[in-house]
Amino acid sequence: MAEAATRARLLSSVILVLLVCAHAVSAQKPRTNPDAATIVDFMKRVDQYVALHKKLESTLPKLPKEATPQQIDQHQRAFGKLIQENRAAAKPGDLFTPAMRRLVRRLMRQVFRGEGGVQLKKEILEEYTENVPLKVNGRYPDSVPLSTVPPQVLKGLPNLPEQLEYRFVGDRLILLDPAAHVIVDYMERVFP
Amino acid sequence: MRLPSPRLWTLICAFAALVCCAETTSARRDSTTLVRTVQEAASAAQPMQLPNKPDTVKFAVIGDNGTGGREQYEVAQQMAAWHKKFEFPLVVMMGDNIYGSERPQDFVQKFEAPYKPLLDAGVKFYASLGNHDSREQRYYKYYNMDGKLYYSFKAPKQSVRFFAFESTYMDQEQLAWIEKELDSSRDDWKICFFHHPLYSSARTHGSEMKLRAALEPLLIKYNVSLVLNGHDHVYERIKPQSGIQYFVEGSSGQLRDGDLRKGSPLTAKGFDTDQTFMLMEVDGDQLTFVAISRRGQIVDSGTIARRRTN
Repeated sequence: MAEAATRARLLSSVILVLLVCAHAVSAQKPRTNPDAATIVDFMKRVDQYVALHKKLESTLPKLPKEATPQQIDQHQRAFGKLIQENRAAAKPGDLFTPAMRRLVRRLMRQVFRGEGGVQLKKEILEEYTENVPLKVNGRYPDSVPLSTVPPQVLKGLPNLPEQLEYRFVGDRLILLDPAAHVIVDYMERVFP
Repeated sequence: MRLPSPRLWTLICAFAALVCCAETTSARRDSTTLVRTVQEAASAAQPMQLPNKPDTVKFAVIGDNGTGGREQYEVAQQMAAWHKKFEFPLVVMMGDNIYGSERPQDFVQKFEAPYKPLLDAGVKFYASLGNHDSREQRYYKYYNMDGKLYYSFKAPKQSVRFFAFESTYMDQEQLAWIEKELDSSRDDWKICFFHHPLYSSARTHGSEMKLRAALEPLLIKYNVSLVLNGHDHVYERIKPQSGIQYFVEGSSGQLRDGDLRKGSPLTAKGFDTDQTFMLMEVDGDQLTFVAISRRGQIVDSGTIARRRTN
């Protein structure tokens, strides 16, 4: 009887030790960012776009460093046309994949439901007065002022190379190619 | 007595209408001229409160100016009036240089037209980009950005260097550039300007804490004396922070009336009831500044000393 009790105590001690060890081993495992794969995929798509941007830009005459507004406009339109021709099959979701959209919406929920979120949204929508349709690979609408993208928003989003930038158009988050003035991709309903 | 015929009446009425119209137009022109004359008189009547010596570095500061609205034009008229007696050769711009669309005609309406007297007088504008500005502005000839998002340039006189940052996208690459530029500068005065304020008492935006955490250690380490910002549409002189003097000049076109938090521990002087611009003059180790309202009133003035290397 006593032997059985000792054996049971020993067994439970062994199980306890095993559990502690298992926990310690699992705690030592490097923590992985559950969003890492989504971000890596997004940045791969960004890089592909930037490669195309650079390739096409090199075929255009360089914009002088002291350009007139007309020269800037002409260059932008010529560049935009090239991008549009070379991405004729572009469609929503090419960069903002469903996984990336989910991630962005989650980040936006954190920002806009957090402290000062209401004020941030107000600032973003400050100059947005008309509801304009957007088109992937279309020219950014000339009548729509460039929105602010607050640091709190940028903090959560992957950093972009200078060929691309995030902007809001109403409640849509767009990826804008500022040199070509082209909407590379966009996603709707980003505000919670 | 015979009354004039209906045809004659029509002619009389048409003539009267023409005379009336001409007088109204002339009165409107007179009133515009009157406004300008009053502004020039206001500016002329003010004691300058600047040393206005030869061989000093004189410059103006504007921010959040590019609305194309009446107020921007009136501030620009004040600047032109002051330029007649205080010949500043350069203007630094805190960003949000063009609000709204950026078509070629917008560059005219929101920049070239209001500042025409200054541009004609050879004044050079140096821009930094705000959160509403397109990056393509860096190629615009009148912004003198040399095609760069961030850059530095030496003042034409004295030992003064300006550093323009792009604060909307402050990445590691830019931070590395800033460190290198500040470190390599041997100028007595290092003056940094960019859009987002590290210190601000305005309710709308306030201090940009994340940017402050990234930039302030560099500004302190490399002996920056003066930092100029915009973004909040007010004028504010901040109490010196770690020996650095900060100004918010974001009301040269825009204005957020009453946006400054009263009693903010940061504020040395604030003004949020009219548009403003600033004039500065560096003479050796001293910098004298004035902030001037759209109506031509000096709303703040003073002198600061440059920081010295420890």
